[in-house]
Amino acid sequence: MIERDDLDMLAAEFVLGTLPIEDRQRVQRLRTTHPELDAQILQWESRLSALNDEIEPVDPAPGLFARIERSIDQLEQASSQHNEVVRLRQQVSRWRLSTAATSIAAMLLIAVMMLEPTPTKSPYVAVFQHNDEQPAFLLTVDLARKQLNIQPVTARPAGNQSYQLWIKDDELGPTPRSVGVLNEHFEVDPAALTNYDAELLRRATFGISLEPRGGSPTGQPTGPALHGFLYPTGEGADTNRL
Amino acid sequence: MASDHPVTGWLHAVAEKDRTAFAELYQATAPKLLGVILRILKDRARAEDILQESFIKVWQRAALFDETRSSPITWLVSIARNSAIDALRKQPVEREGQESDIDEIPSRSPNVIDRIDDLQAQARLNRCFEELDKDRADMVRLAYLNGWTRDALADYFEQPVNTVKTWLHRALKQLKRCLDS
Repeated sequence: MIERDDLDMLAAEFVLGTLPIEDRQRVQRLRTTHPELDAQILQWESRLSALNDEIEPVDPAPGLFARIERSIDQLEQASSQHNEVVRLRQQVSRWRLSTAATSIAAMLLIAVMMLEPTPTKSPYVAVFQHNDEQPAFLLTVDLARKQLNIQPVTARPAGNQSYQLWIKDDELGPTPRSVGVLNEHFEVDPAALTNYDAELLRRATFGISLEPRGGSPTGQPTGPALHGFLYPTGEGADTNRL
Repeated sequence: MASDHPVTGWLHAVAEKDRTAFAELYQATAPKLLGVILRILKDRARAEDILQESFIKVWQRAALFDETRSSPITWLVSIARNSAIDALRKQPVEREGQESDIDEIPSRSPNVIDRIDDLQAQARLNRCFEELDKDRADMVRLAYLNGWTRDALADYFEQPVNTVKTWLHRALKQLKRCLDS
């Protein structure tokens, strides 16, 4: 058991920023379910906040607010076009983070739009994008049946290498988990997500990395870093991107 | 009173998806948040990406802001700092930044934005910092303001990492006693 005093130091070092990365991520997960820890974090934020008075303001580039508004437009548009964009916002912020860190992440972590099935449409989903070009893959997930389908858009066969699909969610731990290695027809077991509950799938982040043939030898993505962009899947939305 | 703070009003309005309030909030606070992020990440373009990410989070999470638990500025700065530190941990900056970090330590330059902060809190924190050994006060500042890890502090102060951790804990406990008294 964690002693109260230890918990307080955990909160203090979390706020200070000196926790090792694994502990930091653990605290971020724990605070959502442990009100006491969350309260201690808020108290430490408050105690140390006057340190920020030492920091000189810096004016952002003039166009930055417009960029932010466009991102938000995109979010709002997506959620109004579709009745349910489950936890999209969180996905987008994670995606933002991941693009800043892609060279480390060595995979593309993409914001995933998980849409409820509509009578006329398949419940689709994630866009995996290569550089600034057309999407490389589209991932479709039917949440009711937990069936997944991957469609290559511009992705080309990887020759001696393999594409590998990953899922990441706090509940699954700090590192991505392999969903499966795509075969030469870009297929992966459609039932590969059966063991995940729908709620987790809705909030999870998916990624595709390029790995040595047969899949990552380490169990973690090792392939090249790629960038991803979120595309709304609704009509008339194809010109917007985040 | 926190509830009289204009930023609190903007945050409540942003929680209702008020774009005008969001723009006003940005105008008033973005430079401060960028200052916080830039001090940690050093790189201007990267810092602006994280600022963008932070404001998207603000838009999404404004409804979670609770003025009885945080001051609005503290809440905003925490979003920016956490985003910046997470980004830094995932992709550390070059070590060259550290000498300039040291130079920044003694600087005390209150500026206009300070008026919206609690000046008493600032004075109290300064007083409590003065009670710490200089090395320990510097450690806390370098960690908080510049995002230094325990390892970086250990290198700079030429101490084992465990000693750094012990010093940090002692300094934090001492600060807490002083601030809460």
